[in-house]
Amino acid sequence: MEIIGPVLVSGITTGALYALATLGLSLVWGSLGMLNMAHGTLLTLGGYAAFTAASQLGLPVPLAVLAATAVGGVIGALIFVLVAYPLSRRSPETFETTIMIATFGVALTLENAVLRLYGGQPLGQPLSVGGAINLGGFALPWQNLIIVVSAIALMGATALFLTRTKAGRAIRATAQNPDAAKLMGVPVARVYLQVLILSGMLAGVCGVLVSSITQLSPSLGADPMLKAFIMCVVAGLGNLPGAIITSFGLAIVEALVQFLAGARWGFPALLAIVILVLIRRPGGLFGRVEVRRL
Amino acid sequence: MKREDLAHPLVGLVVLAAAIALPFYVDSRYVIGQVTLGLFYAIVASQWNLLFGFSGVFSLAQMALFGFGGYATAMLCFYFGLNIWAAMPLAAVATVLFSLVIGAACLRLSGAYTALLTLAVAQVMYLLIVTDTDCFVMVGTQCRQLTGGAVGFARFGDLGTRAMFKAKFLVANYALVVALFAITMVFTWAIIRGPIGLAFRALRDNPGCAMARGISRFQMQLLVFGLSAFFTGLAGGLYAAHFNAIGPGVLSFSQLFFIIAMVVVGGIGRLWGPLVGAIVLVAADEAMREIGEFRSLGLGIIIAAVMVLMPNGLIGLFESIWNRLRTRNPGMTAEMSGETPA
Repeated sequence: MEIIGPVLVSGITTGALYALATLGLSLVWGSLGMLNMAHGTLLTLGGYAAFTAASQLGLPVPLAVLAATAVGGVIGALIFVLVAYPLSRRSPETFETTIMIATFGVALTLENAVLRLYGGQPLGQPLSVGGAINLGGFALPWQNLIIVVSAIALMGATALFLTRTKAGRAIRATAQNPDAAKLMGVPVARVYLQVLILSGMLAGVCGVLVSSITQLSPSLGADPMLKAFIMCVVAGLGNLPGAIITSFGLAIVEALVQFLAGARWGFPALLAIVILVLIRRPGGLFGRVEVRRL
Repeated sequence: MKREDLAHPLVGLVVLAAAIALPFYVDSRYVIGQVTLGLFYAIVASQWNLLFGFSGVFSLAQMALFGFGGYATAMLCFYFGLNIWAAMPLAAVATVLFSLVIGAACLRLSGAYTALLTLAVAQVMYLLIVTDTDCFVMVGTQCRQLTGGAVGFARFGDLGTRAMFKAKFLVANYALVVALFAITMVFTWAIIRGPIGLAFRALRDNPGCAMARGISRFQMQLLVFGLSAFFTGLAGGLYAAHFNAIGPGVLSFSQLFFIIAMVVVGGIGRLWGPLVGAIVLVAADEAMREIGEFRSLGLGIIIAAVMVLMPNGLIGLFESIWNRLRTRNPGMTAEMSGETPA
């Protein structure tokens, strides 16, 4: 049973990353009803921003992470101001699909901008720590520990922000019922902007973490984003705690399948689980079935 | 017959005449080749338009179905030695069956859920083909994977046009693609005009009311999924036959969104939207060849900008200009209809 250790280490590490990516996606979906196809690109931009700050400008690690956060937040804000806001004003009834196409255009643009600026070859993220702790039989790399701890800390901070602050309460109110929130004097458009900035900041840090165990490449965010989408769907789009639990659970299953059957079967196994779950529970594992008025 | 009913066939005849005239005026093999490629895109885009524009199913598996048709054709020829002309319709039927399996799994949900699941299916298909390294058969001294692996299949059959038309074979292939395009458009037009098309559109515009009138959303959307898969798969087969090669590249993200961009630029839910979009984007792609490196970047900006600035596409833009010109003449109605948003 010596595979349990490595499977858990790799499963929990990727789980933490998926959970962080899912958190940003789910936040935006839950409040704006917008599936941000550029979320993966925000991860990529975060990773490259940290790389530029740390190895090209020689800034210390905390500043590099801050740079990644800032870039994610700014791009998130730009996506809202330039794309999401005009689209939602123009055609609210088709927003759900048009925003996916439009944000994909954004993703394509940004990803190619990264490709032009940095080139296609993979780069090493300087913000990674070597070495490992020996836990009686298997090694726990420091990097993995750092990832899990920072991901959990970020999720905790987000949860505190959403539940304890006035801005967080406004976000939750808008997610539950935008019209009622507006009538209570919540500036809904500003809340939406805040949500996208928050989601972009989370994505920026997540990109730094993802690139610290893999490598920097223009398509860095694509794989975590697709997985995060799947986690969101299984959990029920817009459900934050459910999305986090699902991320860890499915990541461990994925790691197990990859160890037992080979790396290429991890994703197909995930997809099969997702489809089976959705056939039984179309609203997702934790999703409430929506009652829509006509 | 109403005037609107005549408009589409008339446009169709003009397009067909232009397509037939083209090889008589243009001698460049390169241009003919690019127009052929554009027509392949237009066929796939028109079927995605049938699915999304007319029926409201946001599927991201369109290129996966196109690829499936191409791969099925190549594999039927490669492993079973079938004639390519027999393989193409078989592959198209196989694509329909494959699409029904995907549809049964993904269409119970709607909107963004369907989009994500179909995208995941397409991505899994791509990954499984690219990472396939196990030897299935040995060709000479070379190992060949069941799915062709990252390389794909090449030289598995021939349409016979090369032997029949010698140097002019490219024009013959072009004629085949034009014919397939024409049949596809007639098929699409017949569907959206008929009672099924009405049901599709009802489900798109107001699923709740449509279901209350006794239309089964799942069955109808599965039907349109299967219907649109047939010509998509057939186009995939002809694509594989035309280039005599098929690889995992057709399943890539950028190819899928190139198709979607065509529908968006031309006009979602407009019969001729995909063709207009294909012409504009292939032409823009050619124009951007000068600035080579920035092609995808430009494409991304075009998609986002068109979506935000003119959500009804070029045809929608023409329609609103046309309506404004028409209502300007009879004085009174101009002020009344001028205020209503398009």
